[in-house]
Amino acid sequence: MNFDHIDVVQSLIDGVLFGSVYALLGLGFTLIFGAMHKLNMAYAASSIAGAYVGLATITIFAVPTVLAFVVGPLAAGVVGLLIYISCFQFMPRNNLLAPLMASIGALFFIDEVIIDQTAGSPITFPVLLPDAYFPVGEYGFRGDLLFIAFASFILMGVIVFMLYRTKMGLATRAASQQPVASLLCGIPTHRTNSTVFILAGVLGGFAGCLAAAAVGVLSPLLTLPLTVKGLIVTVIGGLGSIRGAIVAGFMIGALENLFLLFRGVNERDIYVFLVLFLFLVVRPNGLFGTSIDRD
Amino acid sequence: MGLAPMLRITGLAKYFGGVRAVDGLDIQIDKGEIFGLIGPNGSGKSTTVNLICGVFPQTSGTIELDNVDLGKMAPHQRIESGVSRTFQNIRLFGELTVWQNLWVAWRDAPGHETNWLVNWFGSPADRQHEIQKLLEFSGLGDHSDKPANSLSFGEQRQLELARAMASKPKLILLDEPAAGMNSEEVADLKERILTMKELGMTVLLVEHVMDLVMSVTDRITVLNFGKPIAEGTPVEIQNNEAVQEAYFGSAKNVEAGA
Amino acid sequence: MEYYLGISQTIGVHTLLGLSAYVLLLTGQLSLAQVGFFAIGSYVSGILTVIFGWHVLPALFVGALVAGVFAFLVGFPALRVKGLMLVVATIAFSEIVRLVFFNLNWRVEVNGLEVGPDSTQGFREIRYFAANGWEQAHVVLLIWLIVILVMVMLWWLDKVRAGAVLRAVGEDELAAQSSGINLTMVKVAAMTGGGVIAGIAGGLYAHSTTYVDHHTFSILLATFAVSYPILGGLKNVLGTLMAVIFIQGFIIEGLRFMGDYRNILFGLLIIVAMNFRPQGLVDGNFTSDVRKLLRMKQNGAGADA
Repeated sequence: MNFDHIDVVQSLIDGVLFGSVYALLGLGFTLIFGAMHKLNMAYAASSIAGAYVGLATITIFAVPTVLAFVVGPLAAGVVGLLIYISCFQFMPRNNLLAPLMASIGALFFIDEVIIDQTAGSPITFPVLLPDAYFPVGEYGFRGDLLFIAFASFILMGVIVFMLYRTKMGLATRAASQQPVASLLCGIPTHRTNSTVFILAGVLGGFAGCLAAAAVGVLSPLLTLPLTVKGLIVTVIGGLGSIRGAIVAGFMIGALENLFLLFRGVNERDIYVFLVLFLFLVVRPNGLFGTSIDRD
Repeated sequence: MGLAPMLRITGLAKYFGGVRAVDGLDIQIDKGEIFGLIGPNGSGKSTTVNLICGVFPQTSGTIELDNVDLGKMAPHQRIESGVSRTFQNIRLFGELTVWQNLWVAWRDAPGHETNWLVNWFGSPADRQHEIQKLLEFSGLGDHSDKPANSLSFGEQRQLELARAMASKPKLILLDEPAAGMNSEEVADLKERILTMKELGMTVLLVEHVMDLVMSVTDRITVLNFGKPIAEGTPVEIQNNEAVQEAYFGSAKNVEAGA
Repeated sequence: MEYYLGISQTIGVHTLLGLSAYVLLLTGQLSLAQVGFFAIGSYVSGILTVIFGWHVLPALFVGALVAGVFAFLVGFPALRVKGLMLVVATIAFSEIVRLVFFNLNWRVEVNGLEVGPDSTQGFREIRYFAANGWEQAHVVLLIWLIVILVMVMLWWLDKVRAGAVLRAVGEDELAAQSSGINLTMVKVAAMTGGGVIAGIAGGLYAHSTTYVDHHTFSILLATFAVSYPILGGLKNVLGTLMAVIFIQGFIIEGLRFMGDYRNILFGLLIIVAMNFRPQGLVDGNFTSDVRKLLRMKQNGAGADA
């Protein structure tokens, strides 16, 4: 098969734009990891759950589609809080495996509830801006993808601002670096942690809605690929690096579309996942990771 | 006389970002010596121990043990080359028994190695006698089948020391072994270190308890802000003005205040 | 009767899967790659008996070996870095394996029939047992012989120094490394051993069900695999067996009338268990007391000699 450079560049454009979904998810994983040094495996599941609630709201109450993007993130924030309470809050601080395992339990709990409620079949998600398309020379920008990328950028900006310019962000960063010391300084660790889970949940719910809008359907089958890609983005960016997660998100989006173009939809994810192993061998600390500390 | 020192550290430095935890340290320890490394909190003593053991890489400088460069080795290779350590905060294998703690760290004395099959897949019976002997030496002979985390604090310290000896090291690094001990336990530890000296072992002792350091060491290096400020025998160090200012002065003030 | 034979097949295969995760958990590492090794074992041994007409025993052996090689190859880069990274890498690995078999099309004509992996349609016709006159009871016997063999080997491993070293690494990596233990080597060895066990389990599964496809090798199965030793506790191999009997025998089979709610229940069970018993449901006090008693006798005998 032959591909001209127009196909390649166009698929790169679409990929980078869709990559903002991965960047958002990676950012969410990173926020939680940054706060607690633990992985929340149910994170992408909570995002999809939020998107379902958003979709259900606009379907049942026949309200404008835009409201899905409000209700969905809020619902995902609530799910995020519930995950914090059920899987993280009461775990011993130095036990990494128990909360990890519990959140895998939560991942399947959420997934199976969705399968039960929807009988496992995909539901159409209303298309955003169906007619918007902006041609630029030989290339073009899909309106919905532009909207996704634009919305993601604003959200990321808000999050970074909150982390580095507000008192809450300062408390969060302090709690992440010295949990015991910050407790002694009167920073309520549980409250900062639950705030982070809610925030990350809202972020994820938004990403879930965006992904559903771009794909056109919502299905429990989305959960696992989004989980794995979100995690890969987090690791490739350098576990705990916000900048890294965002850059890696766009990178994975672009690579994914290239693999789709060259290898087809059935093989695409094989290559995306192999990128992780490439990084583990060549650059185990990720794009922006600090050196491995074993403690 | 003309013998090369056992441990030779030259120009050792470790920077964490802008913090110079260790900044140009030179130490030479001879075989059979008990060498003290002292200094106020945060002066880089523990960092030095961690650098020798390879917990993190040094920024610059060299570490040689019997003319073998440890600097680029993986941590477990350094243990194989003949260093071993204890930790400031006790780190035992808590769920394992006292006996198993030593079994895990066990290495046969040079020249008496068994093959790897016995080493990895041998039964406890193969090592019973030797490990029991080490337990008796450490005063833990009656506790061999207790889980390590059920021991008292003092016993845990002794088990850690025994574990460090189980790998038949040329050089043992003791990272504040008296921390948290009462005076009786410190006296006991003093005896043990002096016995180790009699047995010809070489020890680098990092310690806060001055009485202990002054009574067991042959030579001492004093660190302040990562830099060595004095070196000499315990008597020389006690009379050194710079040291008194950096260390004993403040220590005396603390005592006076307490 | 056939029903109970079927359940005991499932319990046997899942016990092996659980034990494969158990080995690695001893070193404190959580791996979701066991299902990937399981898939490799089932496809490789299936291809060997179906396409190449091998006897089932060497086919199982080679399937396990290939799974072990892959475990080694995955473990090496993944275990050099932090523990949490392993979880991510192993999920990715299992998904890669699943997708490779999803795409694998290798149809061959054997005795006038077209057989072999048929990409999305899965791999059917793994009929070695039926074609060679094995009754189901024989298959169950083979599975449980292997289960017992693996359990005895892991039991023995706990009695020798290697077992203590695995647990020491799981307890405190820094202390283990400072005792002269090569962390990467120990973890990769555990990963490889676990891969071999999962590979055998996969081969047994493929041949006893005669049919596998990519749905079989989901992350859900990987979660089952790690949840057995986690719920059963790491005191000894019997905990894993008990957890399998509880989950497969009671939750999945016993509560069959609850249909899909059983999977929801499984998720809930893990969350609840981790909150109340982060060290495992089956407490080790009882078994460790027995062990202590035995050890004391052993030591007594040693001292007399």
